[in-house]
Amino acid sequence: MAIKFKKVDFKYQGNDNKAYLALSNITLNIKAEGEFITLIGETGSGKTTLVQHMNALLTPLSGDVEIFGVKINRENVKKKRVKLNPIRQQVGLVFQFPEYQLFEETILKDIIFGPKNFGVDEKTAIERAKNVIKVVGLDESYLSRSPFNLSGGEKKRVSIAGILAMEPDILILDEPTSGLDPLGRNALLDVFYNIHTKLNKTIIIITHDMNTVYEYAKRVLVMRDSYLVYDGDPIELFTKKNIENWNLDVPDLLHLINQIETDLNLKLPKKPRNETELFTQLKAVLK
Amino acid sequence: MDIIQMKNVSFEYQQDQPVLENINLNIKKGEWLTILGHNGSGKSTLSKLLIGLLKPNQGEIIVDNILLSRETIQDVRKHIGIVFQNPDNQFVGVTVRDDIAFGLENLQVPRNEMVERIEKYAHKVNMAEFLNKEPHNLSGGQKQRVAIAGILAMQTDIIIFDEATSMLDPKGRKMILEYMKQLNAEGVTIITITHDMKESVLSDRIVVLKNGKILKIDTATNVLKDQETLEKSNLEMLLPLKVLRYLERENIADEKVRSYLWQLSLKR
Repeated sequence: MAIKFKKVDFKYQGNDNKAYLALSNITLNIKAEGEFITLIGETGSGKTTLVQHMNALLTPLSGDVEIFGVKINRENVKKKRVKLNPIRQQVGLVFQFPEYQLFEETILKDIIFGPKNFGVDEKTAIERAKNVIKVVGLDESYLSRSPFNLSGGEKKRVSIAGILAMEPDILILDEPTSGLDPLGRNALLDVFYNIHTKLNKTIIIITHDMNTVYEYAKRVLVMRDSYLVYDGDPIELFTKKNIENWNLDVPDLLHLINQIETDLNLKLPKKPRNETELFTQLKAVLK
Repeated sequence: MDIIQMKNVSFEYQQDQPVLENINLNIKKGEWLTILGHNGSGKSTLSKLLIGLLKPNQGEIIVDNILLSRETIQDVRKHIGIVFQNPDNQFVGVTVRDDIAFGLENLQVPRNEMVERIEKYAHKVNMAEFLNKEPHNLSGGQKQRVAIAGILAMQTDIIIFDEATSMLDPKGRKMILEYMKQLNAEGVTIITITHDMKESVLSDRIVVLKNGKILKIDTATNVLKDQETLEKSNLEMLLPLKVLRYLERENIADEKVRSYLWQLSLKR
């Protein structure tokens, strides 16, 4: 296992000097390869705090987090027994507003900043930049442009390219598609899906979009009031659990399937996970 | 009556790079209008022009019979309010109460009346118990409700929601949609800027923007079924309609299934 959480608690100090529980008793394992995980839950449920523990940006108050064999706890961090830099390279975290972190005069400089910071020489970093800019669906001509005149979707892609250039094993994205138009959202999700399938990397996405969970995720984590209340299969979550209690929504596709099956008295052989599957099954059933 | 008139409005940040070109748009009093368009189509620029945050390079904007200009901008802002996309970017006050008061202070509302209005509208959006709390400790949905209370307190008759639900969790989103419906039912003119097709079903009319120009203005129903327009502007068709189109193409849907899917997609 690449990331292991064992009974992790974390508290925030509020402005009123009271401590607020952000993580309660979290136990969880994540593999370095082949996972496509979505992390969902209400605003304030602890999602961002959870992923910030995954690359040691935060240290648990109690319990252990182990990242690629390195044990992160209060004592180890305080006594500087652990090196955090390699962890930050292995677990790439793209923040919610990555576009705010673009600051160089060209996109190339922005992308090579990360790898150079982790000791990669300039030539190799530039080679990587030429590669990752294509991975995120932009062409090489972007490298010489300024990051500031880009659209929202393009800025997100550039900042993701910057993280990819560090060649992390695990890629974590905090609400990467919020605010994008439907086409931009789908294109970006396809980028993550390609990174996942072609490079066999583990992807973890924080989202409020239930459609992303239903159509892409192999595994879903649900946070609720600092607790991890669900860790498992998305279909099971949306069909068997009482998701209203967790303030989640039914994905559009599943909602439509349920309506069609009830109102038209049909039974689809298997729950379709995307539009194409829905079309094919409907065709078979209606003919 | 047209509460907003945009006549030949154009805007550019840089010379010869128009963000909006020749926009002619009339919005009726009490109407709910959705502005759809891809990222970068000019939607948010349009809303900034309407509230006078930006000044058109050409054309004129009339709000509630007032021609928008430097001289009239304060008057116009008594009629039109805006809720922005990112709930974190619109707080100025130390407490929720201060925040709701901010707009009223600008309007120089007398103190007694100010206190009254703050209480009234905080209740209306179910945030009265938070009046003395700091805004940054609230959830996204709660912050947007405070922003709405701030605008309601100014008693404007037009509210623009500029992707106001796009960063909220499902619960927060539902709640804001409920307020939009309620306000519109009470006669407030609503302008929503969104990518969410499900949200646009709620409105009376839809304007589709593409590359700074109006591609289509029509009733919500007519726009939502117009596959060509939606595709041209990077928008997605509502899921039940997509299924309907597919079944029609494959020639496998009988009348019953077809009318069912049609009803389903336009259900408010």
